[in-house]
Amino acid sequence: MEERELIENAIEVKEVCVNYKSLHNVTIRHSAFRKRKKEEEFKAVKNVSFSVKEGGILGIVGKNGSGKSTLLRSIAGVFSPNSGSIDLKNHSISLMALGIGFKESLSGRENIILSGLLLGFTEREILDKMSGIIDFAEIGDFIDKPVNTYSSGMHSKLAFSITAMLETDIMLVDEVLSVGDERFKNKSMSKMKELIEDKNRTVIIVSHSIELLREMCDEILWMHDGEVKEMGDPDEVLEHYLKFMTG
Amino acid sequence: MINGASCIISFIRGVKRISFSHMTVSYRIKYFLVGVGFAIIIPVFLYLLKKSMGFFEQLKNDVCRFVKDLKRYFRYAVRLAKADLRTEVANSYLDWLWWLIEPFCMMLIYAFVYGVVFQTTEEYFTAFIFIGLTVWSFFLRNTSASVSMVRSSKAIISKIYLPKYILLFSKMLVNGFKMLISFGVVIVMMIVYRVHITVNVLYLLPILIDLFLVSFAIGVVLMHYGVFVRDLPYIIDILLRMLMYLTGTFYSLAKRVPAPYGEIIEKVNPIAYLIASARDVLLYGKAISWQLLIVWTIISAIVLILGISLIYRNENSYVKVI
Repeated sequence: MEERELIENAIEVKEVCVNYKSLHNVTIRHSAFRKRKKEEEFKAVKNVSFSVKEGGILGIVGKNGSGKSTLLRSIAGVFSPNSGSIDLKNHSISLMALGIGFKESLSGRENIILSGLLLGFTEREILDKMSGIIDFAEIGDFIDKPVNTYSSGMHSKLAFSITAMLETDIMLVDEVLSVGDERFKNKSMSKMKELIEDKNRTVIIVSHSIELLREMCDEILWMHDGEVKEMGDPDEVLEHYLKFMTG
Repeated sequence: MINGASCIISFIRGVKRISFSHMTVSYRIKYFLVGVGFAIIIPVFLYLLKKSMGFFEQLKNDVCRFVKDLKRYFRYAVRLAKADLRTEVANSYLDWLWWLIEPFCMMLIYAFVYGVVFQTTEEYFTAFIFIGLTVWSFFLRNTSASVSMVRSSKAIISKIYLPKYILLFSKMLVNGFKMLISFGVVIVMMIVYRVHITVNVLYLLPILIDLFLVSFAIGVVLMHYGVFVRDLPYIIDILLRMLMYLTGTFYSLAKRVPAPYGEIIEKVNPIAYLIASARDVLLYGKAISWQLLIVWTIISAIVLILGISLIYRNENSYVKVI
């Protein structure tokens, strides 16, 4: 127990608020002829603070629309919180959500390289892992065809393989553990476990699968309407969560 | 303070020796007022300067970040540009030949319309039009792409962070490559026409760099507003069409537009200026005014820095809007 205390935090999230507001699309006709509407603010995440230890695995649960994905995206740096701070301690980070940013008109191979470069890998590192990614994705000759010819299954299989093989220090996983057919699902699940069990990797998982979270996570964060409802030991929090959702 | 100010004023006006007692009353009042004016203006100015220090500090940080980001994402931009170019031609029969055929056909059309129908005559007319067309389409493509740039790359930017202007930068590399091919055609034309080549041809390099800077600066600013203002593409479309005729793509502004205005337009519109200088340098062997070149470099650099800063301030809210 004492040893664990010494491990540094990999992610520190302090009092983060994320609002969706007033940044509607403006058209000139609207702004000229209509009085300024009262600014509506939708607070997706309210005052959330938590930290994850180096190598820790945090699960996030909550009903739909409780701000889980928003929180994950702001940790990934896709958009900044309106207030509060997120400190990643200079770790590299990747967000694994359904379909990472593909350029639809480019081939799968090109997309692998581009995604890799964006994640901060050098071209050499990517080329080294290229065959691994292609093998894992199991999409055969389609790898050299444009991504917009892929079926949705192939699309997400490739996306999963890229993030799984190009390993970053912190992985944010957003509901992607049910990708592809039965066979690929099992494969991706065991790969996922292998990745997560690596002691150097810090992981945050958003999922609705209670069994999965109970099995994998060290800690569970339960979000409700943008706020932290409970955080702590998986069994305890998940039990409360289940009771809340069914009761 | 007041006396000091009045001394300065009178010194500037050429009064070498000044003594208060020799002045008439109205002069005393005048200097007094000037002094009071300075006494107010100078502190206000100092206050504003002090206040804007934070702003300049921020700009400096943004510039440092810009340089760092550009280095980090440069490989990505190049790779993306290459992939874009490759896919653009992958599915057509004549693939990369289109980059030659397209501007060449355009040139034939315009050469017919303006040369035969409207009887515009310039020396080396086809090359004259071709240079204008090449430079203009580089600018046109970048500008119209930049307005909808963020929206059209939603897939990527909603999943991973990257500085948004990198997308524009990559697009400019694509267009820049096409432009270079067109300039290759220009060289062929120059050989065919037996244009007398002078050392002034070397000016082309700074001209192209300037063109890149100007387009980048305008593109970055438009890119930001394009996210929030939906009608911007339409407006830009109209403006660009207007600008095309004010740029003298098919005719010489300085010769065609009545006396003072033609040259004024050519100086005020950077693209017109760059096109005219590219023609002067390549076809007519004239030297160009490098002062104006530097002025436009500085202006576009300032706009670019402000634009980059604007993007850094706002880029993380783009995803929420689109």
